[in-house]
Amino acid sequence: MVDTRGQMKIQQMAFMLIAVTLLFVFVGIFFLKIILSDLNQSAEGLEEKNALLTVARLADSPEFSCGSSFGTSRSNCVDFDKVMSLSEIPERYSNFWGVEGISIQRIYPSVEGICTTGNYPDCGEINLFSDEGVGVSNFISLCRKSEQEEVCDVARITVYYGGDYE
Amino acid sequence: MLLGSLFIMEGTMNKRGQEEIVGFALIIIIVAVALLFLFSFYIKGNDGESAESYEVGSFVQSALYYTTDCEDFLGNFSVQELISECKAEERCSDGRNSCEILDQTLRDISGSSWQFGSDRPVSGYVLNVSVDGLELVGIQEGIHEGNFRNALQSISSRGDSIEVSFRVYFK
Repeated sequence: MVDTRGQMKIQQMAFMLIAVTLLFVFVGIFFLKIILSDLNQSAEGLEEKNALLTVARLADSPEFSCGSSFGTSRSNCVDFDKVMSLSEIPERYSNFWGVEGISIQRIYPSVEGICTTGNYPDCGEINLFSDEGVGVSNFISLCRKSEQEEVCDVARITVYYGGDYE
Repeated sequence: MLLGSLFIMEGTMNKRGQEEIVGFALIIIIVAVALLFLFSFYIKGNDGESAESYEVGSFVQSALYYTTDCEDFLGNFSVQELISECKAEERCSDGRNSCEILDQTLRDISGSSWQFGSDRPVSGYVLNVSVDGLELVGIQEGIHEGNFRNALQSISSRGDSIEVSFRVYFK
């Protein structure tokens, strides 16, 4: 009788220890997951923001931006005429922004073909310098003057960095 | 006398044993409830996560500047101007309904910019345009589950308060 009660007490203690250990393990995993998930999210967010801000800064630089050519000053607006002029003298600017390459693709309306002086503005893509490496892209307005009227399309600017960017 | 005290002792021991079992059961129940509570938090944590996105914001901005094929005697309207034209129930110079052009243009721009499908990272998107609280355009494409990124742009054009919200869902 005394032996049985002792065994019961030992069993109780063992169950309690297992339950309490499990509880602490789950609580630990729970908090670890929250902390790691927050860290990953902030790291990814910062990386994306940094890359996109670099692209935005480049799009807003005087060599690309619309400035006040189309009425009010606009952010994320690239002057198609300026980019075309720039594409004719790539060697002068190849080291200016510290990037491997810059490319602009017209998304809407979608037009096929690499831009040259012969087919401009009925073309879909301009490549400055190179289109190799790790690309970071963002949406822009691609604007140009057409018979004294402004025409803006939706486009994407992609900036290429060296392979070790990420 | 001796037999009587033995019965009392056994009864006390049985009672103490029952109390211990009840206490043990209570602890098990408390631990189980705590675990259920933690699991529910864990499952809730895996639901859709949102984030203001600079990329989506840039998309909304460039879509608003897009030059449409709807025009009046002064020239072609941008999407931003067309929203005000739609609110005022104006028509294009060729007689087309400005709201229909606005809706179709925004559908085409969103469709070209955020292509979705089983082999793409984007699963769907929602675009809403409202002027002074009145919804003019509501576009919903694809599946609206999981993580999403959104952007809200509030602009003032021709005295109207325009709000454009765009939300992209990712797999």
